[in-house]
Order: sequence, then structure tokens, then C-alpha cells
Amino acid sequence: MKARNHIVTVLTFLSAIFLFLTKTEAQKSFDSLKLKLPKHYFKTVILIDGYSKPSQNIKLDQSMNDTTADFLSKRLKTYGVKQFVLSVNTPLATFERSTGDSGVTKNTHILLTANYMSLQPVFGGIEQHSLYKAGIGLRVIINSGKKSVWFIDASPFVTRDVPKDGNDKSKGYYRMASTIVYSYNPNDHFNWRVGITKSFLWGNRLYLPFFGVRFGRLDKVNFSLQIPRCMSLNIPVNQKLVFSVYTKPQGGMFNFSNRDSLYYLGNASTFNFTRYEINTGFRADVRLNNWFNFYVALGLSTKNNITFYSEKANKDKPRLPYSTYFYDHGMPTTGYLNFGLVLKFGKTKSYFFNRNIYDAIDLNNTVGDGDNNISNGNTQIPNAPKKTKKDVNLSSVQDLIDYNDF
Amino acid sequence: MYKAFKILIFIWLFCLPFANHAQNDKDKIEALRVTFITKKVELTNSESEKFWPIYNEYNDKVKAIKKNLRQSYKKSSETISDKEAEELYQLDIKSKQAEVDIHKLYSEKIKTIIGAKKFIKLRIAEEEFKREIINSIKDKSD
Repeated sequence: MKARNHIVTVLTFLSAIFLFLTKTEAQKSFDSLKLKLPKHYFKTVILIDGYSKPSQNIKLDQSMNDTTADFLSKRLKTYGVKQFVLSVNTPLATFERSTGDSGVTKNTHILLTANYMSLQPVFGGIEQHSLYKAGIGLRVIINSGKKSVWFIDASPFVTRDVPKDGNDKSKGYYRMASTIVYSYNPNDHFNWRVGITKSFLWGNRLYLPFFGVRFGRLDKVNFSLQIPRCMSLNIPVNQKLVFSVYTKPQGGMFNFSNRDSLYYLGNASTFNFTRYEINTGFRADVRLNNWFNFYVALGLSTKNNITFYSEKANKDKPRLPYSTYFYDHGMPTTGYLNFGLVLKFGKTKSYFFNRNIYDAIDLNNTVGDGDNNISNGNTQIPNAPKKTKKDVNLSSVQDLIDYNDF
Repeated sequence: MYKAFKILIFIWLFCLPFANHAQNDKDKIEALRVTFITKKVELTNSESEKFWPIYNEYNDKVKAIKKNLRQSYKKSSETISDKEAEELYQLDIKSKQAEVDIHKLYSEKIKTIIGAKKFIKLRIAEEEFKREIINSIKDKSD
């Protein structure tokens, strides 16, 4: 019995040496060719997004006996939104490690995000304000190689109010949005996520729990509920077209110049403007080729809300909550139009059916760049093909087929 | 809103010429191939999560070797010197050797993950897919 154990040990040892030598040999011969392989799994993505909501009359709130609110409603007259976003998401570093024995491939991705938002709240009664928000952030995605993926994002940003003539810019107002999510993939068809997010999507700064579930594969029809970010039913029609029905919050907090003296109680040069709305609509993502996609979405914007508050004044009165607004107004439902262009650059490592990489891409997309909640449509995840391609292009299969195969 | 519509129409017109170009065919074929293999090999959940990263890595390396060799041959002109020809010959031999070595290494890894039986299924599926592609090329040329 002892002798048998010894033989097994020796055989295991020898096979381990054999595998190690094979590995070394294979690596040597591959390295001798000095080939450059893609380093990352993520492409550099540039997103250009336009969003517009028509102007509506601001109605006086009859139920409240608030003279300040009435006064401001009368001054503002109407409210509409024109928004433009430019964002960049690019991989900085990818660390990969394969554990030979278990066959697990772990990787960590560090990505840089940058975004610029120009927001024009269209108030008919006052001069046009051009608010902007800009930030550079970092995100780390850790793929355990088994079933789980960690996502950590930090998106600091600054907001300012810049008049058209460029003079009298308001002071920069610095803020930070961040998210930590743990994502678990029991199988291809189901995923759950938990985490926490510090976000300004719902108007003001909020610390919210993150809870997400997805039913269905990411490259096929799936339903995704990602509280507090979005809920969507995604239907790939073919490899080029994806239809979605979705609902998501959109909003933010911006520095607002007091040059119209809307805040007349204090002597502040700026105050804060917050907005949020819940958009429910249809979206079509057209994947034209490997580097360019675009999308069009339209629907109804509900729960429209705007507020003004002076953080300085609130701080001076410690008993007041952080978000005590001197103006808080809801608007009726209206329509919206949203469209975007998505440009993708760079070659990536292959990740077909790599569930965790698909999940990492989805996480990167769900928590859009710079807390703007704008999705690029998961364009890096190829839709599952439905049938065999008949019009095969010879150049596309030259890696697969040798002359001797014919 | 009207302005937004105008921009949208502009984008649409801008994109029309691109719409005729097929999305990268190589990626489509690759997607078809992996779908075909998934059906044929019948990987379990835990096999799948280990198999695909390794299999993709293997394919990336083999494709890089083949592409490099192909491009080197394309670059060579008819007036290639003896020295250049010798270099190209050496590259050809090295590339084939690297392909064999990579194949050997990754076959071991894949066999460890999915077992010998499924490994054979995988190779059969790969050949079947190749056969399908060849048939569709033949049909097209007839």
C-alpha cells in the first residue's frame, strides 16, 4: 500500500514537472515571435449624449401658502431642459493571473473615466444659465474568476455656472459620487448585486443601498433591475439592433449663479440647483460596426422636480437639515428625446461567453461615467447569433481554415 | 425639441453609408463558432466559467501567430533578398513550432478543466464548424 502511494506521488510530481516544462517551452517559443497581444478587456469608449425636454409653464402651488415659492415660480415662468454630455471611459491597466491547478483566471481592471456635462435649464423668466459639470474618476473592477465581481468607482466632479459671455463665472463647487458593488453570477441566466452608492442622481446627495438582479443572459433577452440606477427589458433583435424598454432616474446638483437674485434672503453669489426626473421610454441601440454605434430613446419624463438651496445658509443654521430648500417645485409629466453616439477604440482580449467579463462590462455600463446614469448600451457585449452565417467572407475565416481542410 | 430632431436626422444621414458595411465579419464568425461549440460540448456551469477564459486566451495567441506570419508573407515582395527569405523561413518554422507548443499547453489546461471526453467533443465540434464554413463557401462559389 505504501509503495503504491509513493508511486502515485512520484507520478503526480513528474506530471507537474512535465506541465511546467511544457508551459515554459510554449511561453518561450511564443515570446520568441515578439507578438503584441491586446492588454485589456475594455475598449476606450467615447460617448456623446444629447437630451432634451420641452419647456413647461411653472404653475403656482395652490395648496401651499408659501409666498417665496410663489414669487420664484412667477419669476421663473417656465422650465425645460437641454443637456449635452461627453464622456470617456478608458482602461488604464489590467492585471491577470491564472492559477494553473484550478484553471481559474482572475483579473483586475483599472479604468479612467472623464465626463463633461453642459446643462441648460430653460427658465423663461430669467436670463439663460449654462451650468456645467466636469470630472475625472477612477474605477476598479475585480473579477475573481469564479462567480463574483467587485466594482469600485470614485467620480469627483466640479460644477459651475458659466454665462454665455464667459464673464462672471460662478465659483467651482466640488463634489464626489462613488459606488461599491459586489456582483454574483450563479449562472449565465441570473445575477444579483448588492452595494452602496453615493449619488446625486435623485437631485441632492444621497447615500443609497444598491440592489440589482438580472434575469436572462446579457447577450440575449434579459430583464435587469438595478436600484437606484435603472430598470430595463433588453431585447436584441439581431446582432446589430437592440430594443429596450426602461425606466431610470436622471438628475444632479449644480452650482447656480445668483446674478438674477433668485436667492434674495442672503448675500450669496451662488446657490445650488438640483433637478431630477424619472424617465420611462423606449430605446433603440444600433450597432453599426465595431467602432461606432448610436441610440435613440424617447418617452415620458415623470416626477419632474427642481429645487434651489443655499448650502452656506443651511450650514449657518446647524439645526436645519443639509437639504433645506428655499424653492422646491414639482412639474407635470412631459415627453423627452434622447440620442447618443458611441465611439469605441482599441483591440481587446477575447472574452466570448466569459460570464464575469460580460458582468464587468455590464457593471461598468450600469454605473455610467460621472454619476450621469447614461448607458452606452452594453455595446461591448456581442449579441448571441441566432443562425449560421451563410454569406461567409473568406478573409474572415482565414484563421480557422487551412488549405488542407478543403 | 425641433432642433434636437434636426440633429437626429443629421446623425441618421451621417450613419447611412456605414450601415451597409457589415459589422466585423471575423467577430461574427467567432461568435458563431463559440455558440456552436457551447451547444456541442455541453459544458456545465462550473466548467464553463473556467473553460472560456482559457479557450479565448488560446485562440488569441494562435490568431496572433497566424496573423503575424500572414502579414510577413504579404510584406515580402517578388524581389525578396536571400537574407530576407531566410528570415521569413525561420519565422515560418518558429511560428509553426509556437503554434504546436501553444496547442499542447492549452490542450493540457483545457483537458484538466473539462476532461478528456469533452475535450474530444470540443475538437469534433471545431472540425464540424470548420466543415460548415467550408460548405457555405463552396455553396457561395457554385
